[in-house]
Amino acid sequence: MSLPPVVNTVNLVKIYQNGGVPVPAVRGIDLRVEAGQFVAITGPSGSGKSTLVHMLGGLDARTSGEIWLDGKRADTLSESAWALLRRQKIGFVFQFFNLVANMTVADNVELPALLAGASAREARERREHLLGELGLTDRADASPAQLAGGEQQRVALARALANKPSLLLADEPTGNLDSRNTRDVLRLLGEVHREGQSIILVTHDARVASLADRVVSLLDGEIVDDGVIGTGRRRPRGTAGDVVELRG
Amino acid sequence: MSTLRASVRWVRADLRARRGQALLTVLAVAGIVTALITSATLLEDGTNPWRGLFIESKGAHVWLHTRDAPDVAALSRLQGVVRVAGPYRAAPVMLTMDGRRSPVALRGMQARLPAVAVPLVRQGRWLRSGDADGVVVERSFAEALDLRVGGPFTVTALNGAVHPLIVVGLADTADQGFYPESTPGLAWTLTSTLAGVEPALGRSESVTGLRLADGEDTLPVVHGAVTMLGGQIQRMSTWREVRASMELDNRLLGLLLALFGGAGLVAAALAIANAAGGRVLSQTRDIATLKSLGYTRGQIFGLLMAEHGALGLLGIVIGLVCGQFAASFALEGMPILPLSPVPLLAITAGTAAVVLVAVALPAWRGGRTAPIPSAPAAPLTGHLSRLARLALLVRLPPALVLGTRDAFTRRVPAFLSIFGLAVPMMMITIGLGCWATLDDFLRHPEQVGQAAALTVRSDKLPAEDVARAARADPGVAAVYPGSEVSALEPEQTRSVLVRALGTSAEPYPFSVVEGRMFADRGEAVAGQGLLDLMGVRIGDRVRMTVGGTPLIVHIVGRVVEPEQDGEVLSLGMDSLAAKDAVPPQFYSLVLKRGVDPATVRARLLAASGEALEVQRVVNPAERLSVIRGVIVALIVVLSLLGLANLLTASALGLRDHALDLAVLKAMGLTPRQVAATLVTGTGLLVVLGVVAGTAAGASLVGGLIDLEGHSSGVGAGIGRTPSFLTLTLAVLAAIGAALLVALIPARKAARARVPVTAR
Repeated sequence: MSLPPVVNTVNLVKIYQNGGVPVPAVRGIDLRVEAGQFVAITGPSGSGKSTLVHMLGGLDARTSGEIWLDGKRADTLSESAWALLRRQKIGFVFQFFNLVANMTVADNVELPALLAGASAREARERREHLLGELGLTDRADASPAQLAGGEQQRVALARALANKPSLLLADEPTGNLDSRNTRDVLRLLGEVHREGQSIILVTHDARVASLADRVVSLLDGEIVDDGVIGTGRRRPRGTAGDVVELRG
Repeated sequence: MSTLRASVRWVRADLRARRGQALLTVLAVAGIVTALITSATLLEDGTNPWRGLFIESKGAHVWLHTRDAPDVAALSRLQGVVRVAGPYRAAPVMLTMDGRRSPVALRGMQARLPAVAVPLVRQGRWLRSGDADGVVVERSFAEALDLRVGGPFTVTALNGAVHPLIVVGLADTADQGFYPESTPGLAWTLTSTLAGVEPALGRSESVTGLRLADGEDTLPVVHGAVTMLGGQIQRMSTWREVRASMELDNRLLGLLLALFGGAGLVAAALAIANAAGGRVLSQTRDIATLKSLGYTRGQIFGLLMAEHGALGLLGIVIGLVCGQFAASFALEGMPILPLSPVPLLAITAGTAAVVLVAVALPAWRGGRTAPIPSAPAAPLTGHLSRLARLALLVRLPPALVLGTRDAFTRRVPAFLSIFGLAVPMMMITIGLGCWATLDDFLRHPEQVGQAAALTVRSDKLPAEDVARAARADPGVAAVYPGSEVSALEPEQTRSVLVRALGTSAEPYPFSVVEGRMFADRGEAVAGQGLLDLMGVRIGDRVRMTVGGTPLIVHIVGRVVEPEQDGEVLSLGMDSLAAKDAVPPQFYSLVLKRGVDPATVRARLLAASGEALEVQRVVNPAERLSVIRGVIVALIVVLSLLGLANLLTASALGLRDHALDLAVLKAMGLTPRQVAATLVTGTGLLVVLGVVAGTAAGASLVGGLIDLEGHSSGVGAGIGRTPSFLTLTLAVLAAIGAALLVALIPARKAARARVPVTAR
């Protein structure tokens, strides 16, 4: 028995209305991401890559087509149902970090766990663990404004992982960082991926994309290239791929 | 429910980040609720201390005055009667103080206080069994005559015997109204003392009180008592009459507070809506982030409602507490009861509803925020406003032009801000107008129908001597003979006061605001209350009877009439029949400008050897002086509301233009110019709001006060607009303070390192 794909889209279309003029952003994308895969979506500005991940996370409604998450149809969900789904299964990392400015680092990271119904103690333990992993333990009581960009993005990553989501969506997570911080964030992404985390990463930076198992290139809202890069070294342990290989 | 913990964290963090604004919201709501509670208490109790007194003294609903003691057992068997007070023996005596004689009803009591209709001793003590010459005096009577505990109370019985008694206590009662509206004055002695003062039973009466289970059953009980006692009853009074007689004429205060409270509530709703709306707008990204983390639309709505609504509800609770204090402070010395539950509940629920509605719209908008946090939240229109183009045309400095442009980039919040500032400013102007009207009352009493500062009368000297003595005083400008008689109005159902003062040839200087002064026999002027009561207008003829003599007068004008709810007809002495007019009962003295009435009074008393009775006319404004305190408090609350609105406008302006700051600096504007740009953006809204509010207030205030004057019977013509100087100062103070408040964050922003990213 094979695990269902984490993400499966069927002929996904998104058309914006701009003053009555339809502007297609995504035109018929079929994308299948297996559990544990690290997929980079690249493409020039306006190619529809951000729109695609927003639709995958339910932040934006699709115009037509289907979205299946963990083998369940998701595109027909209501806004609230999407919100509940996000709480449990999806972690988001944004370009501008989007930490809640008034809350401390610790509160930012604990928020998703609390939202999912964890007790204050469970949330604290999880936060301590995550911040420890990301080397931010001593910044727990700082406010986001006191952190450097790289640190903020690491906090955002900790927050996205707080509920052990089955899918991590990262929209240009390094777009606003210098090269050193970019390296740090990518190293962290690589680490969580090695632990089995499925990741979809949007980037227009080829070097960042090269870190992924698989690179999907978009142009004008369509997939123009979809290739698996590298093997072995970055092959995650214990993923669906392994199972298929053993059976095969 | 799973979002509860997360939401609490969020709310706590958000409130911590904006303590000042949150505090302002709480204080503003608290202030408004305080005003509303105080107003309701005043309208209910302040205008009528009867309720408090009646409940505290377990008062009797019906009082029967009979020749002999009635059958108590039979009375108590009447349907609805719970207990019977008395019967007490009461004798009419005359109290002589400072040459003035005041009739007193001396009531015989036991040393033990009765179970119902208890005299409430406020000073001194109740009678003791050994008090052969002790007397407890009703408080309003004691105050009017300046009687003190331990002082003498020398009474003359009908047989002419003089009895020196000593005041041992002062007590409140709900048995009869306050002196001098209710006469004779009331005093209690031991029955043994009373028997000594008035041994003849035939010259006294018996007073019996009936306490009912339900005051609404008064009429059947009265009928029952009348049927039972028949011709024995000499006089009878019910709680309704006592309540009516205790009603003071300061409903104005309650109405003023209600007006302020009501308008303040609108202002508070605006301030809260602005504050919540501004906060939601500036938190768009955070809210979007929350949604991306899994908050649903409804949960965001609930979160925002809870946060902003809780502030309002906290304000309401504080206001409820403060309202009780404020009411007891405003009516110092009067027995205050807490507000009855219905208005209390109405105010609480009404304010809560207003707060929640005010918060609901921004919260709903917050809930609809798109969950994509990177979506820009910049203003939609970026083009130059007409005002800005105008500013460019007249070559204003660039900072001003840019600020003018900024002011209206968000149209709706801009207009809400203007409105939110205009409403408090309007109310402040109205408050200043009330202040000016009170000042006017005091400074020009002749304009409110009180040209005379003193009245003199004497029952020892002939009228001509009184007039001569008054005219001889150097401080007196004019002396008008006067008489007051009670006239039955046409349907003969109630009587009105007819005041003859001066003559047709030489009329007293009434303050005529409509029509003209009477100039001939048979002409009269009337107060608004009388016109309303009789349903007549200026130009009509009215027919009344004075002691059986018909009196037909032609009403030629309306005067400002502060007495008797305006139900007074004023005419010349020559219009009255000789039997009523000769000799005059009293003389009204108009003093020369700047002369102190107290000095003239002392001089007159000394010159006549205490034979004259000289009374000061009480200016209605003196009774209303508490209004000034109220106006100051309300101005403070309204300023808080304005400030809350201002902070919102300023914060929103800063947020909207934070990104522009980098551009402005890149264009070469100095930090000072950048600060000026930001201050102009906020300041323009402030100027517009303040000026509009002041103009609206100034145009409304006269009419509002006149409306109140009309409904209270005093009549229109008393309202004053605050002076131009006052208004200018108020506007300048408001704008100056506002600019100062706006300057601080603007300077900080101008000097801060300009952020490159969206945050």
